[in-house]
Amino acid sequence: MSGDPRLEELSGDELLAAEYALGLLEGEELLAARGRIAREPALADAVARWDRRLAPMLDEVPGAKPSADLWRRIENEIDARGPALEGGNVVDLGQQLTRWKWATGISSAAAAVALAYLAFAPPSGPASAPAAISAPLVASIPIADTPLRLGVTYLPASEEMLVSASGLTADGVHDHELWLVPGDGSALQSLGVVVPGEERRVPLPADIARNMSDGAQLLLTREPLGGKPADQDAGPVVAEGSLQLI
Amino acid sequence: MADVNETARQALKAAMLRLARGDRSALEEIYRATEVKLFGICYRILGDRKEAEDALQDVYVNLWQRADRYDPERASPISWLATFARNRALDRLRTGKVRAGAVEIDEAAPIADTAPLADKLMIDAEREARVHTCLETLDTNQRENIREAFFGGRTYVELAKAQDVPLGTMKSWIRRGLAKLKACLEAGE
Repeated sequence: MSGDPRLEELSGDELLAAEYALGLLEGEELLAARGRIAREPALADAVARWDRRLAPMLDEVPGAKPSADLWRRIENEIDARGPALEGGNVVDLGQQLTRWKWATGISSAAAAVALAYLAFAPPSGPASAPAAISAPLVASIPIADTPLRLGVTYLPASEEMLVSASGLTADGVHDHELWLVPGDGSALQSLGVVVPGEERRVPLPADIARNMSDGAQLLLTREPLGGKPADQDAGPVVAEGSLQLI
Repeated sequence: MADVNETARQALKAAMLRLARGDRSALEEIYRATEVKLFGICYRILGDRKEAEDALQDVYVNLWQRADRYDPERASPISWLATFARNRALDRLRTGKVRAGAVEIDEAAPIADTAPLADKLMIDAEREARVHTCLETLDTNQRENIREAFFGGRTYVELAKAQDVPLGTMKSWIRRGLAKLKACLEAGE
C-alpha cells in the first residue's frame, strides 16, 4: 500500500476479526470465520479486542423496558430444563468435555459412503450388551470448517439427552440432524434436528435410550431445513464422535 | 453519576461471580440491573418487540447455563453482557426469522423512556473510550456504514444494496475506515 493512510485498508486476520465483531459477514464467509475463531485462540483474542473497543458505542442505544412477565418466562424456561442444567453441573461437564479429543476434518464424501454402509449393513456378529450404566455419557463433536462444537450428554437415570449447540448459528438454508449408530448394526436412529445456539433437553424413547452406550457412535448430517425428508437419503456427514463414560 | 455507576458496576460484578458458582438468586439480580440496557440493544438490532424479547430471554437462559464464560479479567460485566446481547440478537437476525430489512422501529409498540435507569450501567460512564472520538475522524461514508453495521446488524451485502453501490466499493470504504479506526484506537492504548 502507498504511504497515504486514506488509501490503506485493513487486511488479513485483523480485518477478519474487525469484520466479525462488527457483523459484516454473512453466509459461507460467516460460517468459515466462526470455524476459525472456534479453533484459533489468537483470532478469538483479536475478535474479543474489537468487541471491547466497540462496546462503548452500545451506550448510545436508548434503554427500553421489556414486558413485565419476561422474567417469569425466563424462570419457567430454566425450570423446564430441570435440575441437571442448574448450577455448576453443566459447567463441570463443560470443563470435563474440553479434555476430549476428536478426529476432525473427515471427508464428507467418504463419510457419506460410510453412512450409507452403516445404514444398510447387516448386523455383524453378536452385539455386546451394554452394562447397565448410571454415569452420564458425553460426546463433544467439533465440525471441520464450521463453528459447531456439539455437546451431547446422556443421563441414563432419566433417559434424557442434553444437546448443546451454543456455538452454532443457523445459515438459514440447512439444519443439522444428529444420528445414533446402534452398536448392533441396526439402522441409524435419529436423535433429532440440532437447534442452533441453544441447549436442549430431550427425553429419549426406550428403543433409542437402550442403544446409548459407552463408545456408541454419533453422526451429524447436513439436511434441508426441518431435517431429513422421509423419502430421501440422509445428507452428507459433517461430523462424528462417540459417547464416552465420564 | 459516576459513583452510582461505580456502585452498580461493583454489584453487578459480584452477582456475576455468584452466578458462576451456581447461585440462582444472582441471575434475578443481574436481570433487574441489566434488562433495560440489554433489551434496548436487542430491540435496536431486531426492530421488533416480540423478537427482541425472545432474544433477551435467550440471553439470560444462556447466561445461566454458561455463567463460566464470563472472564472478569478481560472485560467489565456490563461491557461483556452488552456485547453478548448484541451477538445473540445478531444471531437471531441472521437465522432469517427476522427479515434484515425490517429494522425500522416498530411504531405500534412504543417503549417507555427509561433512560435514567439505563444511565446507571454505562459501559463507559465517563465517555472516555477512544472509539467515540476515533469514529469522528473517519470520512462520512466510512463512519456511517460502520455505525449501521454495528447498530443495524447490516452486512456488507446489505449495506451495498441499501446504498446502491457495488459491493467492492462498500468493502473498500469500510476496510479503509477500519484501518483508520484501528490506528486511532491503538494510539490511545
